[in-house]
Amino acid sequence: MPLPDQDLQRLDDLETTVARETQELLGYPCSAEFDYSPLYRFLRYPMNNVGDPFVESNYKLNTHEFEREVLAEFAELTRAPADHWGYVTNGGTEGNMYGIFLGRELFPDGLVYYSEDTHYSVSKILRCLHVRNIMIKSLPDGRIDLDDLRETVRIHRDVPPIVFANVGTTMKGAVDDLAGIRSILDDLAIQRHYIHADAALHGMLLPFVPDPPPWNFDAGIDSISISGHKLIGSPLPCGVVLALKRNVDRIARSVEYIGTLDTTLSGSRNALTPLFLWHALRSRGREGFRQLIERCLATADHAIGRLEALDLHPWRHENSPIVVFDRPSMPLVRRWQLAVQGRIAHLITMPHVGREHVDRMVASLAADRMAEVSSS
Amino acid sequence: MKQISIVCEDRPNLIAEMIETVGREGVNIETLDSDAIHGTVVAVMTVDRYDDALRALAQGGFVAISEEALLIRLEDRPGALAEIAHRFKDADLPLRSVRIIRRSGGTGIVALTTARTDEALALVKDVLIA
Repeated sequence: MPLPDQDLQRLDDLETTVARETQELLGYPCSAEFDYSPLYRFLRYPMNNVGDPFVESNYKLNTHEFEREVLAEFAELTRAPADHWGYVTNGGTEGNMYGIFLGRELFPDGLVYYSEDTHYSVSKILRCLHVRNIMIKSLPDGRIDLDDLRETVRIHRDVPPIVFANVGTTMKGAVDDLAGIRSILDDLAIQRHYIHADAALHGMLLPFVPDPPPWNFDAGIDSISISGHKLIGSPLPCGVVLALKRNVDRIARSVEYIGTLDTTLSGSRNALTPLFLWHALRSRGREGFRQLIERCLATADHAIGRLEALDLHPWRHENSPIVVFDRPSMPLVRRWQLAVQGRIAHLITMPHVGREHVDRMVASLAADRMAEVSSS
Repeated sequence: MKQISIVCEDRPNLIAEMIETVGREGVNIETLDSDAIHGTVVAVMTVDRYDDALRALAQGGFVAISEEALLIRLEDRPGALAEIAHRFKDADLPLRSVRIIRRSGGTGIVALTTARTDEALALVKDVLIA
């Protein structure tokens, strides 16, 4: 049945709004640079990746094979050992929930430690999973304060720590010092521990920069969550979670009616997002991503130069496209969809953000400042 | 009467904004106390419609903390939180969650929850805000 004209008009209006706003999307880590038109044909089918991608399902309209290829690529990028498992999630939060869930299942009495710069969704996860938790101070640059962590873990050294580490904080792009975290656990002779890494944006950046800090399975993590709709770009939110298989096996539960061993958090799962990720990984390739990230970081440096000229104290971490600067007025925050926290704001030079894009925003900041001066 | 604590950076008209925010939802404030700690205001209010007030404050951009949590003030230095955690450990009183609400001017405001709030109150009475 065709839609009535007024409903079609509403959809046209929505598209106009979304297209316009995409041009001014500067503050959130979502890439708008993608073309998945070869995949549109699959929107005609009731596809569903229900269950474990590594176990054959009775529901045949799935993309498990493509999902496994995506996971294999991410496993290489994150230096996962052969003994790994994972699936394509609905986004970074699901991956983080899976990681904390695994940690809690392994250590039901464990204590989760996370920094105050951790994404707010983690507080929700901790409440959902009913796991004890302690927030640790952050350093001014956004990394977890290792002195505070050490002292707090020391007091609870008989309780297994579940460390939620940020590999790129949301606001400042800070990577927690994983080597330092491991060193604390070793110094305190804590054998039973779990480390989950939230690498939402930076998990697709750090594999392609020349000198990344420790961030992946080589650094001793037990699981990692990476978003798919951020640096890679996707019309639907998605992500990847990878974990050590020996840990996952402990929570496996048989779900007979779909004939699969389901260790994923959700029941029905998106079958299209693995295709988007597969398409992006295959079409761009590793060299393509390396060049893309080089471009993103160069644009970030351009933004810093322009913002410095306005004396807005911009800065970024070495391997991050997140540029932090002094918070501008609310109308500009809204116009450019900037993320703000207290007195700072940030812009993120995602793949769709070009130098001209940055220049337009900086010009509006300059105009705003001029207006402020002339009115005072 | 249930209590709500609001923690935010001090600024002009802050209390008026809080009152207006909950007032718009038809919530009556029964009591309201506030204290400024190194640039941070901690306001404690009791209201007639608790859930509506919490929702209104959160939607209005305020950090509103329910009465399940104890608010304490700490020196902003490494190990300060650990010392508090030590008290709970010694008292065999497990902490459910510890959340840093705000840090400014050398002071941190921290929200604690435990399964036994009454016992916890006694443990942190020297640093208790609300």
